[in-house]
Amino acid sequence: MERFLTHWVRSRILVVPHTRMTTTKELWENALVELEISISRPNFNTWFKDTHILRVDDGVVHLGVPSQFARDWLSTKFHKDILGSLRNLSDSIRNVEYVISRGPKKAIEEMRPPAAPTELQLEAVHTKTNLNPRFSFSSFVVGPFNELAHAAAQAVIRSPGIAYNPLLVYGPTGLGKTHLIQAIGNHFRVSTPDRKVHYLTSEKFAMDYVSSVQSGKMQWFKEKYRQYDLLIMDDVQFLAKMEKTKEEFFHLFNFLHDSNKQLVFSSDQHPNLIQNLEDRIKSRFNAGMIVSITAPDHESRLAIVRTKAIQHNFILPDEVLEYLASTVEGNVRELEGALNTLLINFEMRGRELTLADAKVLLRGAGSPKKVVSVQEVVKTIADFYGIDENSIYEKTRRKEIVRPRQVIMYILREDFHISFPSIGDKMGGRDHTTVIHSCDKVKRDIITDSLLGQEVHQIRLMLK
Amino acid sequence: MKFNCNTQEFSTAVATVVRFIERRANLPVLSSILVTADGGRVVLHATNLECGVEISIPAKVNEKGTVAIPGSILAGFLSNARGKTTSVTLVGEMCKLETERSTASIKTIPHEDFPALPRVSATASFSIKSADFVKLLRSVMYSTSTSTIKPELQSVLVYGEGGKIISAATDSFRLAEKTIALRSGGNVPQLLIPSRNVAELVRILEVVGGETVLYYNENQISTQVGNVYYTSRIIDGAFPNYKQIIPKTFTTEAIVLREDVAQALKSLSIFSDKFSQVSLTFEPSKKSILLSSRNPDVGEQTTTIQATISGEMATMNFNSRYLSDSLQSIVGDSVRLQTNGPGKPLLVRDSSDESFLYLAMPMNR
Repeated sequence: MERFLTHWVRSRILVVPHTRMTTTKELWENALVELEISISRPNFNTWFKDTHILRVDDGVVHLGVPSQFARDWLSTKFHKDILGSLRNLSDSIRNVEYVISRGPKKAIEEMRPPAAPTELQLEAVHTKTNLNPRFSFSSFVVGPFNELAHAAAQAVIRSPGIAYNPLLVYGPTGLGKTHLIQAIGNHFRVSTPDRKVHYLTSEKFAMDYVSSVQSGKMQWFKEKYRQYDLLIMDDVQFLAKMEKTKEEFFHLFNFLHDSNKQLVFSSDQHPNLIQNLEDRIKSRFNAGMIVSITAPDHESRLAIVRTKAIQHNFILPDEVLEYLASTVEGNVRELEGALNTLLINFEMRGRELTLADAKVLLRGAGSPKKVVSVQEVVKTIADFYGIDENSIYEKTRRKEIVRPRQVIMYILREDFHISFPSIGDKMGGRDHTTVIHSCDKVKRDIITDSLLGQEVHQIRLMLK
Repeated sequence: MKFNCNTQEFSTAVATVVRFIERRANLPVLSSILVTADGGRVVLHATNLECGVEISIPAKVNEKGTVAIPGSILAGFLSNARGKTTSVTLVGEMCKLETERSTASIKTIPHEDFPALPRVSATASFSIKSADFVKLLRSVMYSTSTSTIKPELQSVLVYGEGGKIISAATDSFRLAEKTIALRSGGNVPQLLIPSRNVAELVRILEVVGGETVLYYNENQISTQVGNVYYTSRIIDGAFPNYKQIIPKTFTTEAIVLREDVAQALKSLSIFSDKFSQVSLTFEPSKKSILLSSRNPDVGEQTTTIQATISGEMATMNFNSRYLSDSLQSIVGDSVRLQTNGPGKPLLVRDSSDESFLYLAMPMNR
């Protein structure tokens, strides 16, 4: 505050001679500059805070002050100084009247609820394990979209190192992967405090590796990670790009796995589909349990919003909850963001929010339905299979082209409901029976060929 | 400045006044107590610019004068002082305090910057028994909001109409209202007194007793009781129009013993979760209310209390503290609970006394 004032005073002194005083705001600001010099800082800060000129009537300045204390004290103690400094700036001023009025605006800081210290401590990350206690099973909402992942996590807790080792959870961003894997860690930390748990991201692992190579502490690095009974690594897909780190990870993996230590990973896609990841690592991931978390369905979203609202001790009418769950689709993180918007507004207004309020507040919160053109679908899928986009439209029957082309037709039909003849037309003038055949084939194969199933799943995520 | 006074009186007065000092003030003089000795009396002042107090005590003044002494130091010394009389002398900028057994010298603060306490002209006022006013404020003050976002909810509302004085407070989850008949004065406009200042006023009035006259204008409320002058800022804001949310008709109504409910809630709180949730089931057919609480980490409990009950069966969840808070304001033996079922508020009253009313919102789960 003081620093701000001095800075502000300096800039003002420079500006004053050049500006014409047009507004009462400027008049008062300039008067304050003068007053601040003649009055001690504590006095100035205490008594002149939140003062402002309400209006100037016929040479009488009506000065708004925050309380009767201020009014009495300013008028008895500082009246002369105030009048003097205002007169210096404008000859027409004859007198000053003091009026108690709340300031025109309150500082933003004051509008925010003060952070409760107890809450901050709860949020603090547990230093030894790097786990955030906020992520627990009790706050994890289970629905059809994640019940398999949740069940696997429970199995890991029951028999760590034996049931599913490693456990890998994959799915798009913001659906609770980190929450789930940290919840495993937190459960461990509480139930078996003597066992060592550690949570980190693959990026942190890589950084740690690089810095230990630089400082020649490789041995220390190896020992550090080999001591854990439960190692949780987030976002392992990033390892793919880092050659040396990947190798170290491979050795660490083998060591921990051989000594029956539980490993838990998360990734944004199925390990088999991570590019640049060696087969030896992929196969090791596959040796354990790989589960996916998909986007929550409507009922689950509703349950999530309810749980989060209760966590914040925040009561919302059912219709608002329903609206929230139906507009903000997909990502749980976005859902939480939308709920926070409502929460802040609720606290500021101090009354229950109606459906109409929520609609206004959440305008633009729901992610707009993406319009995808046929070209984009073709390009995405061609990129996915690593083939040239143009070859799709050509009349070639090479195997590596035929499969992607069939998948494109299938996706266009199933997800975008385009008619068979028009798909055939767009695919370089093919007959509609060819398209029907392709779609049927993919539909059949998906059931028997799990790799194809994963590919289609992955493509759908990319197109979302 | 030099005076002698009774240690006990001096110490008690300082202990009251020191609660009004501003400890983290921009203006250092606000952390002090202003002591003025003149004409057979010593007057102590303190203010945090939100509220202020002035207490005068008799003293033998040898030399009149004014001094500002750091409040917490003065209070700390006097709370441990023994002996009958204390003599206070100003030597340079040091204030010397002497009792029979100990002496202390406290560095003073320049007193010129100490603000005058606002005075409220005697035009608008009402008079009430101190004990009644304490009851009026105490009955509702626990319901004020603790959030600083809405100053009007962080205050106790006091207003008078039709020969009655009414207080109300709400934090938007529950509401308390108390009415007391007024012998003189009638119409008092809505006065919003900040809850922190209300607590101090209550502590002062509890001690002095007798009759108190409260003077007010649109910015300030003040009172002179015995040797104490108290003044507080009034919040410039509009209290929500709470009358309209109080339901008039009910689908379920029960009368229970106050002691039963208090005991049940106390016991249930052991098992309640972090939201202090308790569930109430009104069972007209069994003539009882079933209360239960459950915490997945601890266990669960159910309790049945006998009730005279009419209307429909209903199950509702509440924050148990919101329910137990209301009981402190009910003096009678039995409590009337009225509601319109799940999602609707619960009205709590003394079954034989209409002067207190409490409304609690259920939890939405």
